[in-house]
Amino acid sequence: MAGAVGGGRGCVTLRGAQIRDLLDSKHNVLFDCDGVIWNGEAAVTGAPEVVSLLKQRGKRVFFVTNNCTRPRENYVQKFSRLGFTDVAEEEIFSSAYCSAAYLRDVARLQGKVFVIGCSGVMKELQDAGVPVLEEDEAADREPGISIYNYPLDPDVKAVLVGYDENFTFMKLAKASCYLMNSECLFLATDPDPWHPLRGGRITPGSGSLTAALETASSRKATVIGKPSRFMFECIASQFDLDPDRSLMVGDRLETDILFGSNCGLSTVLTLTGVSTLEEAHRYRDSEEPGQKDCVPDYVVESVADFLEALEE
Amino acid sequence: MASSKCTSLSGALSRQLLDSVDSVLFDCDGVIWRGDQTIPGAPEVINSLKKNGKRVFFVTNNSTKTRQMYADKLGKLGFNATADEVFGTAYCSAMYLKNVCKLDGKVYLIGSNAMKQELEEVGIQPVGVGPDPISGVQIDWANVPLDKEVQAVLVGFDEHFSYMKLNRALQYLCNPDCQFVGTNTDTRLPLEGGKAVPGTGCLLKAVETAAQRQAQVVGKPSSFMFECVASQFDLDPQKCLMVGDRLDTDIMLGSNCGMKTLLTLTGVSTVAEAEANQKSECPHRQRMVPDFYVDSIADILPALQA
Repeated sequence: MAGAVGGGRGCVTLRGAQIRDLLDSKHNVLFDCDGVIWNGEAAVTGAPEVVSLLKQRGKRVFFVTNNCTRPRENYVQKFSRLGFTDVAEEEIFSSAYCSAAYLRDVARLQGKVFVIGCSGVMKELQDAGVPVLEEDEAADREPGISIYNYPLDPDVKAVLVGYDENFTFMKLAKASCYLMNSECLFLATDPDPWHPLRGGRITPGSGSLTAALETASSRKATVIGKPSRFMFECIASQFDLDPDRSLMVGDRLETDILFGSNCGLSTVLTLTGVSTLEEAHRYRDSEEPGQKDCVPDYVVESVADFLEALEE
Repeated sequence: MASSKCTSLSGALSRQLLDSVDSVLFDCDGVIWRGDQTIPGAPEVINSLKKNGKRVFFVTNNSTKTRQMYADKLGKLGFNATADEVFGTAYCSAMYLKNVCKLDGKVYLIGSNAMKQELEEVGIQPVGVGPDPISGVQIDWANVPLDKEVQAVLVGFDEHFSYMKLNRALQYLCNPDCQFVGTNTDTRLPLEGGKAVPGTGCLLKAVETAAQRQAQVVGKPSSFMFECVASQFDLDPQKCLMVGDRLDTDIMLGSNCGMKTLLTLTGVSTVAEAEANQKSECPHRQRMVPDFYVDSIADILPALQA
């Protein structure tokens, strides 16, 4: 059970029969992607089989990722490429998809959104029918236009910031100007300060760009991605999930595990990604309030550890 | 001097205050000028102070100009001032890297040509200034070639700030031995009119967040700015007056360094904010209460010319 009180709880290493018992008690399994079922372009050994077997056992499987760089249709292709059979678009929840869903269904945006984001974000907004202010880089180069002087579009009613490899000072300036209007919504796809790449390397994440814009506007963004609850609410609105019968499997304590805690899910940390067992223990042994929410209920070396339980 | 604080500076008090100090340190934006317009009477104040035998210094968090560029601007606007009286963060960051960080190598610079010049003046070679557009794919960015001689990352105001620059800074900062310095944390560039131009604080926050590291900040309210002036000119803080428009930078600096402080109301902060700080129980906020305030620095002119 998730969320129980008491010091030193959690981080239980799962093996064999224990995994079987846990899976028997759950109907839905939510997987993070990077560091859990794949690392870059390589599937975690055994992960495709685990997903297949879970479905064969009648479990519903969902993929919940903060990575906003691809639209869902690209994720479907990646799943296929890496050997995961039968993963449907409807099972994939990315922060880009959920941000678009938020703007369309929760905010019910009347107007345009100014986007600091990559093509993955743009595509999801387009697919959701959310009007985006088109970036006109040619107009930015007109004489007289600079970071001190540029036109604003009066139809902009929201600013969305996410991972953007084309981030510039000009975009930061424009976005902070739009945010001077307190009625303009301020959304961020996810809070990740950096993203892991192959070989232990990292690259700046959406969180770093969001921090710049929060500082510029003196406002806090509404964050769609984990650990915020919204992605879970997005799934639940489409699939009627019971948190008590749902399991979150992730590799990042501050996003995946905290997300699971926030939504009342049982949580499993897998050690094939970002966070270490030592870090999990540090959270478990910490006196500070709130840190306990980053403690996973269970720990496995890899999702492949589920195979033993599933193959029986 | 009076132990009460946040007092309106009347004529008689002006005279008393000025007699008790031998040096006056002025912030620039919102105090002696706004953009390219002087605050009326400001040049006369500075020039009269000097005629009265006071030393005058200019202490600004703005990193976009060298000391000489500031001296040129001051001269053009009618202020009698020399480059060695100016302490901007472009100059002070260079001094910090050289004397405090004891940098023996290059610095990866997110900043202006002015910062580049000040660094070169003290014998530090910067890399990275200017536009830096993205190309390639994610794994290329994590593998950008790093200059092995870079031993520090310095972040100042940079209108060419981009994801690629943020990325390069992050790659250098993954090495815990690489030092991390920022010019200042101001969130906005002070400008006339309604447009908000994001300040260095925003860029620094982006780099700090990506790298999950805190920068050493050179600018006000860090006392390094005062130490820079004091060490070159042998100042006694108790005989110094700090004049500024921001409670969280100028007045805080004055309090931290033991100077007398004067808030002018031609810029950012208000008397209401100062009084609220005074009433608060918080020791941090208590350091953001000026000894005195004036509507404009021109208000001290009569006392100077008497």
